[in-house]
Amino acid sequence: MKTNNILLKFILAAYLVVFFGYLLGPLVVMSITAFNSPSFPKLTPWECLTFEWFDVLAHDERILNGIENSLIIGIGTVILSVIMGLAGALMLTQIWPKLRATYYTIVIAPILIPGVVLGISTLVFWDRISIMLGMSSGGILHNGIFLTILGQSTFIASYCMLVFIARLQRFDTGLTEAALDLGATQVQAFRKILLPFMKPAIGSAAVLAFLASFENYNTTTFTFGKFPTLTIELAQKVRYGINPSISALAFIIIVLTILGALAHEIYRRRQQLALANGAPVAAVSGGFQLPKIFRGNPAAIILVLLTLGGASTLWFAQSYSPDVCKMDVREQKRLIQEERIKAIREKRQLELQQKQHQGPDVFGGSKSAAPATQSPGKGAFGNVFDPGNLDKSGPGAVKPQEPTKSPGKGAFGDVFAPQNLDKAAPKED
Amino acid sequence: MTKGVDVDLENVWIRFGDFVAVREANVNIKGGEFFSFLGPSGCGKTTILRSVSGFLEPSEGNVRIGGRDMAGIGPNKRPTALIFQNLALFPLMKIWENITFSMEVKGASKAERRKRADELLDMIALPDQGEKLPSELSGGQKQRVAIARALCAEPDVLLLDEPLSALDLKLRQHMRTELREIQQRVGITFIYITHDQGEALTMSDNVAVMRAGIIDQIGSGHTVYNDPATPFVASFVGENNVFRGKVKSIDGDMALVSTNRTGELLARIATTVQGSLKVGDPAMMFVRPEALNIAPDISSAPNRFAAMVKHEEFEGQIYNVFLEGSEGKEIKMSLVNIGKERQSAEGMNLTLEYVPEQAIVLPAGELASE
Amino acid sequence: MNVGQLFKDFFAKNGIGLGTFLLVAVLFWVVILIVLPQLSMLDFSFRHHLPPPEMGGPKDTYTIEHYKYLVLGAPGADTSYNVVDLGVFGRTLLAALFVTILDLLLCYPLAYYLGQSRGGGAIRILVLLLIIPYWINEILRAFAFRIIFGESGLINEMMLAMGLISNPVDFIRANVALYAGLGYAYILLMIFPIYNVIESLDRNQIEAARDMGAPWWRIHWRIVIPYAKPGISSGCTMVFMLSAGALAAPQILGGPSSLWFTQIIYQWFNTGGNWPRGAAFAIVLLVTCIIIVLSMMRLFKVKIGDIGK
Ligand SMILES: Nc1ncnc2c1ncn2[C@@H]1O[C@H](COP(=O)(O)OP(=O)(O)OP(=O)(O)O)[C@@H](O)[C@H]1O
Ligand SMILES: [Mg+2]
Repeated sequence: MKTNNILLKFILAAYLVVFFGYLLGPLVVMSITAFNSPSFPKLTPWECLTFEWFDVLAHDERILNGIENSLIIGIGTVILSVIMGLAGALMLTQIWPKLRATYYTIVIAPILIPGVVLGISTLVFWDRISIMLGMSSGGILHNGIFLTILGQSTFIASYCMLVFIARLQRFDTGLTEAALDLGATQVQAFRKILLPFMKPAIGSAAVLAFLASFENYNTTTFTFGKFPTLTIELAQKVRYGINPSISALAFIIIVLTILGALAHEIYRRRQQLALANGAPVAAVSGGFQLPKIFRGNPAAIILVLLTLGGASTLWFAQSYSPDVCKMDVREQKRLIQEERIKAIREKRQLELQQKQHQGPDVFGGSKSAAPATQSPGKGAFGNVFDPGNLDKSGPGAVKPQEPTKSPGKGAFGDVFAPQNLDKAAPKED
Repeated sequence: MTKGVDVDLENVWIRFGDFVAVREANVNIKGGEFFSFLGPSGCGKTTILRSVSGFLEPSEGNVRIGGRDMAGIGPNKRPTALIFQNLALFPLMKIWENITFSMEVKGASKAERRKRADELLDMIALPDQGEKLPSELSGGQKQRVAIARALCAEPDVLLLDEPLSALDLKLRQHMRTELREIQQRVGITFIYITHDQGEALTMSDNVAVMRAGIIDQIGSGHTVYNDPATPFVASFVGENNVFRGKVKSIDGDMALVSTNRTGELLARIATTVQGSLKVGDPAMMFVRPEALNIAPDISSAPNRFAAMVKHEEFEGQIYNVFLEGSEGKEIKMSLVNIGKERQSAEGMNLTLEYVPEQAIVLPAGELASE
Repeated sequence: MNVGQLFKDFFAKNGIGLGTFLLVAVLFWVVILIVLPQLSMLDFSFRHHLPPPEMGGPKDTYTIEHYKYLVLGAPGADTSYNVVDLGVFGRTLLAALFVTILDLLLCYPLAYYLGQSRGGGAIRILVLLLIIPYWINEILRAFAFRIIFGESGLINEMMLAMGLISNPVDFIRANVALYAGLGYAYILLMIFPIYNVIESLDRNQIEAARDMGAPWWRIHWRIVIPYAKPGISSGCTMVFMLSAGALAAPQILGGPSSLWFTQIIYQWFNTGGNWPRGAAFAIVLLVTCIIIVLSMMRLFKVKIGDIGK
């Protein structure tokens, strides 16, 4: 029984590791490639720690333009879908019971309809409308921003509606009646009672809508016209040639996301604490006391550490120059080349000599030469790791999630070390 | 403050689809009166109240407030204020904002509203609590806030839908007196809904007893208790022992009922059926526990019957004695505690008697199921 | 109740201003954004491919040529069926099914674990970890898999370094990257519906079953899975629909020889330049997906109302 339990626990742990490895591994790998110097994003071979890709990113006109378009479209989509989603949810509570199921099916369908289909139908529909109206092809109905907002809102409104329905289920319609009874008009009751109640849901629906709009590709790719969004630009870049500036962008987005998530988590804990106020927290907790908001709030601690880590990385990036390392790598590569050339030359020479000495025995000669060329090659390959590793492998801090098996992965864990070190420092004070 | 106005329901029917929630209701409520609707759960009390406050239009008949027909007038335009069964305080507004909401929607200035809120908070004995949220108040305090909020709208009619049902017994009794006091102070019409007959009897000038959408009787608490119009009212309002049988003979306002199991019993014919009750009609005889007494001897008489004591309960001011009834139900007798230790009579056969004028005969009908 | 009465009640309940606003917003969404575009696309798919000036002219008649094309291929083709497009279509559906099953197998244990362990800070962190990848751009997620599975990607380089292989494996061509990427993209949509349902499952039921000596697999088979069915089928429906309709992941991770059906549609709209044909293909995709989802729901006796919970 007991061994069975241990085995089960082990399997569970292994499963969790695999699962979250699958979930987070790609993001970690991608983030790290943002700091590697080769011009194609890759983790191995690790060449030089560099921040140049952030620079490249910051000067990429198309990316910047894409961000701008994404923002405009995102805002438009948020407004439209929050309004429609809210109206849709309110309508659901009022619609004739016999129609309710049909209505629900229609408004929930956009979530299930492939995004491609939504994009196409939006494009086709408005194109035909504009032909019918005899509008020129430069008109508003052909405007990429207009079409994209409509196309995205079609299904994002459904998401918003789901958020609103969940909230509305907890609304006591008696409150609206009470307001009316006290002399409020319908609009007043809506504005003063229902809307404040829906406010948190409107907030989360808006965030959800913005994120969904920002990352949408399938629908937008048919409707964007002359206004490619960030996602469209990214897709183009990823499809037709990449450099690690994309990784840099991904890294930024990931960090922002984590910060957002942590901030949200802190906010929730604070609320919970406020709710549970009065119940005294166990006062003594070892030798030292954390400041108030940190107590029982790991998210806050992580957030602060992350911020410190980010700040020190920035500082490090200012003062650090990868040029030396790059030279080293170039030198290294040159050396490898030279060594190869030398080896080939030697081989030739050897062959020549052997030919001269042993005459007809060509076979044996080439046989013995082959391994000789191979082993230095391998050694050089291994050396590529070294320069990069040397400056960093000092601290043994390894992230808990990092696998610790192969040499390649060892390097992978170490890349984190500089940041880890900075983050770990304040903790010990 | 405004003097209360009359509320009249004329032949009001309310239907939900095929279901009839209220049937032919005719009620006249005088201005300044404390009027209660009393009835079991689901009998249509809330429905009637909602038709007065304007959330429902009657399917037939009309509702008049102060003589004015209310058809087509929305709840926000009627001179009524409703206190909801669950109070419906606005959870996101502070107490003072809750109380003065009716002024806010009319565009009153903040200073005005604060001033009025302070007055009302004083009145409900919650001074300095205006900045709290409803979730930070106790049940009884919320109750008072709901009353203040309704009164702030200066209604001519205050409608209360079982406002005390969520409170515990002590608080409920306290709030009863408080409500009654408030009503007398402001002098407006109160229409009160409850399924608790004690509440209805203590507070009301008049009570309407309802059963499954039908109003069985309207009258003062005294009338409803002592002179019920139907078996339902007799059994729903207060406790009653019932004996079924047939009318054997009638003499003026007294009737002799030959019961199925307990012999012949004499009782007064209820006022509303005097003249219409005939000899031979199936009838029910009701006698209240406190009207029963132990007879001084065992001789038989039309106001006496015998029964065996099953068990007794001591309740402080009274002893309840439960006797084996011949109709399957226990007979309950309440004896006043006169301070002497009583010998338990368990297992004994007793002869009980009552004053015939305190017992009531009604045509057989539906009883309130307990 | 007639319609006029219905509207009267509606406006009585909401007031004129608010009622009009609700009605206009909902009608705009339902009619202009959802229903009409789909109908218009349906209509469009039955039109000839014409240059804009000729649209609405005498040549603009109804035709089923585009559907015929999908089934039979171009008129002069040497095969009697359009093997290429139909093959892609079938493969897309199969692959989407495969991704769905993959996700279900991967997610069910975690959803169960999360749902049954009551609250706790660690669980919240796990949930947060689940959500974070979902907030990262779809393109970037696909891109990450390219870094990992590419010819000089992490896995190849690692296996080379360890000497497991001597030549890089083409994961892209083998569609490994695509499946991994698609499965990755929709993990969340599988986990959360199942998690939500399992969370409401009374723990005592499981304990009672265990008490009666049921082995763990039987507990799942007889108690947990039947209970979680609405969540499972809602998750499967979403994952299937989304992977069948995916475009970004196949474009970035798909091998050169294996197209996704959406890519064909995309080509008709861009390089192919035949919109009606693209629309016809889109209709086919839409209708097929709807049929599959409906039959799945019928099979598992789940209502549409369970979707999106
Ligand atoms: N909107 C409605 N649609 C259909 N039936 C309703 C509706 N409102 C109430 N009813 C029915 O009308 C009857 C009376 O309901 P009402 O709410 O008036 O009861 P009540 O006397 O207030 O009961 P309680 O003491 O439990 O509050 C009930 O049977 C109820 O099911
Ligand atoms: Mg009620």
